[in-house]
Amino acid sequence: MTPPLAFDAVPLGAADAAFSLTVTPHAVTTVVGDAASGVGGLAALALGMTRPTAGRALVFGEDVAAMPRRQVLAFRRRVGYVPAGGGLLQNLSLADNVALPLRFGSALSHREIAGRLRMMLALGGLADAGALRPAAADEELRRRASVVRALAFDPELVLLDRPFDGVSARVAGDLLQLLRGGEGGGGSRRTIFITAQDVPDRLRPRIDARWRVVRGVLQADQ
Amino acid sequence: MTAPVAALGRGTARQISQVGALARFFRDTVTSWRTLPRAGRRVARRIFANQVWFTAVQAVPLVIVLGSILSYLVISQAVRELGRLNATALIGTLMVVAIVRELGPLLTALIVAGRSGTAIATELATNTVMGEVHALEGMGIDPLHYLVLPRFLAGIVSVFCLIVLFDNVAIAAGWLAAAAQGMSSARYFDIVLRSLGARDVWLTVLKGLVFGAIVGTVPSFEGLRVRGGPTGVPVSASRAVVESILAIFLGSALFVALAT
Repeated sequence: MTPPLAFDAVPLGAADAAFSLTVTPHAVTTVVGDAASGVGGLAALALGMTRPTAGRALVFGEDVAAMPRRQVLAFRRRVGYVPAGGGLLQNLSLADNVALPLRFGSALSHREIAGRLRMMLALGGLADAGALRPAAADEELRRRASVVRALAFDPELVLLDRPFDGVSARVAGDLLQLLRGGEGGGGSRRTIFITAQDVPDRLRPRIDARWRVVRGVLQADQ
Repeated sequence: MTAPVAALGRGTARQISQVGALARFFRDTVTSWRTLPRAGRRVARRIFANQVWFTAVQAVPLVIVLGSILSYLVISQAVRELGRLNATALIGTLMVVAIVRELGPLLTALIVAGRSGTAIATELATNTVMGEVHALEGMGIDPLHYLVLPRFLAGIVSVFCLIVLFDNVAIAAGWLAAAAQGMSSARYFDIVLRSLGARDVWLTVLKGLVFGAIVGTVPSFEGLRVRGGPTGVPVSASRAVVESILAIFLGSALFVALAT
């Protein structure tokens, strides 16, 4: 079975150490490391937004960085992505942010999008906050919106960079539950790959594979 | 000894490289229309309409005021002074060449560059600094489709429409000025319309498209290549306006050189 995500000797961080990791399907995987470790750039590498100077990052067996531009954009819609800070568009409401991928990249009608949006907002605990702009919402609502937006196309794989910054362990747990999308394939229904500087202790038991990058070396996170 | 020459060469090479990058950005923006997803067209149309509302509709009062004041001042002075020389027939040429063909497009483009160019550059620079452009890329949405193309097209449509408005307002204000100086309406319109040729109309149309493309491209280019975090946003806006104004003046000079 093709792994949903694999890094093959990509240079990482200031040390430019070769980083290799194969992510198990239907598992929650975390890679933590300090800011200089470069773990924050792994999701962007996987999605072909930055090109590795050596090695390869493969998503569903495909080297996204080597694809033609048009194909890259279509491919990225198969993967959920939450960048550091959430990346919500400030001039759109939380609901419009969540709906944006569907409005821009799906063939669904207005009515279908509206129905799906209502369901997604309710699922993400945003039913009463959809009209707020990101600047008017608190950190928890913003995090929820960025996670729900990443799930717009119900992707098999979700990549997140520092998704739990600024939220309580309880909210982080809720978000992780939402990301898992139920159970399937002997674990989480989705494959979830999280990079961060650290993960809340309360979440650790719910993470299937924990890794830490120390001075460029990948080691199991105890 | 050679250091100043080397520094000059580096600076020149950097400028040429920037012009090349801007040209590539313009080409990518124009050709991005072909790859805009069908569903994305609905979203892009809404952004286009919002941008036209802000760039064109909200600028209408300013264009009317500037166009009418400029034309009134020029024509009232011209009628008085040329009347002494018994050469009032020349106000037709003055109106068409100086105001309709040259100052109308130039001033309108400058108004839009100052007003909307700053806003576009600031907005896109903020989008970039806040990680929104990165997030769009990650969602599979091309920032050229979502951010640039609607603003580019809105820039062209807005500048073109505002130039047409400016020129019509200027002709009307010129008529009021001429009437105030005792010239009959029939004579004024006869002089102006006799001076107005098809070539003037085409040149004005062409200028509208070119200046619109400048105002639609340069601020987006500068906004998206902002550097240095939030402090880079005002720098980006300032560069966008300065470069737009420079490009508009250069374009205007080029039109004069090619058309005469």
